[in-house]
Amino acid sequence: MKGRYEDENLTWIPILIVGIFLLPFVLKGLTYSYKYYLFVLNMAGIYIILTVGLDLLSGYTGLISLGHAAFLAIGSYTSAILVDQVGIPFVFSLFISPLIVGLFGFIIGFPALRITGMYLGLTTMGFGFIVKRLIIAFREWTQGAGGLEVSFPIIFGYTFKSDWDNYFLISAFAILAVVVSRRIGKSKIGRAFMAIRDSEQAAEASGVNLAKYKMLAFFISGIFAGLAGVLFAHTSHFISTDHFDILLSIYFIIMVLVGGASSIYGAVLGTLFIVLLDYLFVPEMKGWIQEFLNIEGGDIQSLLFGLIMFLFIIFQPTGLYGMWLKMRIYWKLFPFNPKKKFI
Amino acid sequence: MKKYIGLSFLLTLLVMGCANRASAPGVSEDKILIGNVQDLSGPMKELGAVLPAGSNLYFKYINEQGGVHDRQIEMMVEDHQYNPQKAVAAAKKLIEKDQVFCLYQVIGTSPCEAIRPILAESGIPLVAPATQSGSMSDMSREAAELIFHTDTGYDKQTGILVDYILSQDSNAKIGLIYQDDDYGENVLKGAAAAEARTGISIQREAYQRGATDFAGQVANLMKGGATQVIIAGVVKEPIIVMKTAAAMGYAPQFFGTSPTMDHRVALAAGPAGEGFIASNFAYLWNSDVPTAVLYRELCEKYEVPEAYMGMYHFYGFATAQVLVEGLKRAGPYPTRNRLVNALETFNKWDEGAFPPITYSQNDHAGTESVVLVQVKEGKQTVITDWID
Repeated sequence: MKGRYEDENLTWIPILIVGIFLLPFVLKGLTYSYKYYLFVLNMAGIYIILTVGLDLLSGYTGLISLGHAAFLAIGSYTSAILVDQVGIPFVFSLFISPLIVGLFGFIIGFPALRITGMYLGLTTMGFGFIVKRLIIAFREWTQGAGGLEVSFPIIFGYTFKSDWDNYFLISAFAILAVVVSRRIGKSKIGRAFMAIRDSEQAAEASGVNLAKYKMLAFFISGIFAGLAGVLFAHTSHFISTDHFDILLSIYFIIMVLVGGASSIYGAVLGTLFIVLLDYLFVPEMKGWIQEFLNIEGGDIQSLLFGLIMFLFIIFQPTGLYGMWLKMRIYWKLFPFNPKKKFI
Repeated sequence: MKKYIGLSFLLTLLVMGCANRASAPGVSEDKILIGNVQDLSGPMKELGAVLPAGSNLYFKYINEQGGVHDRQIEMMVEDHQYNPQKAVAAAKKLIEKDQVFCLYQVIGTSPCEAIRPILAESGIPLVAPATQSGSMSDMSREAAELIFHTDTGYDKQTGILVDYILSQDSNAKIGLIYQDDDYGENVLKGAAAAEARTGISIQREAYQRGATDFAGQVANLMKGGATQVIIAGVVKEPIIVMKTAAAMGYAPQFFGTSPTMDHRVALAAGPAGEGFIASNFAYLWNSDVPTAVLYRELCEKYEVPEAYMGMYHFYGFATAQVLVEGLKRAGPYPTRNRLVNALETFNKWDEGAFPPITYSQNDHAGTESVVLVQVKEGKQTVITDWID
């Protein structure tokens, strides 16, 4: 269905989806190390599920969260415990675990009713630390800091064992997450979220129930993070508290910002950009950079991330997606452009 | 134009196909490629540089003598920043992209645990993981048949320390300060087993990785009346704990697990560290055993910076010996399977760095004994024989 206020062309979507499912076959034909690339894409897919949810919270509603790695952790551990220790089938855990994480999001939503901005960021960050401590403390179920082995995902008797299998599972859910989050973003709920972000007073005056929608934003975002957590736990097969570092939460925010806050496609682009940069390009360029600058590999990573954030916020506050939109408008109006500016 | 694109595509596929058919990945006419995943920029980056440097020292020595079965050993090091997810990515890159023959010396418990599924999937051995967690040699775990551990586990070490304390003082009240991460988890396992075995109860005090203030823990142990305290820390922690205790006027006998054996502990703790006893699963690098002598000779020959020399550098050197011996025994046409079988023929193999190493099909623990090293007048002195 065509959006009311935009001239969106939807014909490319089925082509893209077919492309996504054909990609592994192309990769397999092109390179013998295709499994490594699939692994990186799988990770990007899981992170996309999380970042589109984070975008609804931070981009649409303007509530910053530095605790999303903790939501991912809760989703992972919940599903691992439900499936392996309680004995619930993986398929049910795909629904139950995200809901449980959504409830945690709901609880974290309470402080968000009173505080915003940096203070909310700090609160959610604190939540991340608490979750880590709790996981260690509940060692009866989580095996403490030693980490937990998780079973493979099984759907209707089929076990997803390799990166190849996981790719199809994860990309299916990633596509679903993008579609659902876009629908939410365009619905009444999404408009209420944006109204809250732009001005709380104006939103309230227009009849938006602030408390309800703020809690709802956290709840929905939690569900997405929970789903990502379930897939993360079962496809990576081993989880530990070291996986869900505070840095990961910060990376998630970077992904959303680089892609362009408050656009779902932006979150997808940003996530792909950061993950590919982190796992493919930086390792490739590392040796090359090290020839010029005498710094360690990991330090290059932090340096690049910082630099990208810095440049994007100054020059492209609308992110990668904004860049694309501007480019599109430029070509559409060519040669009658109001401003002679390409991107 | 189109014709050429098609042609080059076909050629690419052909080249890739040929590379794929190589019988044992990572082994060529004159080279064996080894993969190593270290922490080069995370919380343990001090070790990340030193361990592979120690191994490379031995590889260099072997390569100069013509290598193993006329093949030079080459090691690729990737960074995981002590993040298990990064470790998985790095291991996959080494295995799929760089096509290494085997993995070696991967540092950290959770990174090693996280790569178990990859080992199982690709059948690639992991030799001498650089962690003393006893879980590495637990044969019931996934891919355990591919992991060859060289070190005495923390759980085992804790048990040995408790037994030693009780043999010296049967009325001992033991306290334990541990890091609440994967390392501490394994120490706790050993402590629980020791409690069940001996019937004593151990007072536990946790600290967070990276902590610099231990006043609370020390005060609690003092209140609890612990007469012997085991510190399961790394280098900084035992120094601060002992100095804090000295400042509080509390003087129990301090013990430590193997990471606290570093000579910097004795140097930095000063008088507060006098009498500190640490367990160690290898000979001292500055002792007179043949490997240590060879090590110091090579350090001099290749002008190794003084800051590198020490127990961790020597540890890298010593585990490289285990790998090289395994490669030698795997014969002139090594495959991953042959390496596993070759390592399983180790029977009380003694190169003079570790206590005699034995591997078999059901036992990949390597060594299970330690020596205790005490700081006497600021110097480390071995006070026991190998005990287990």
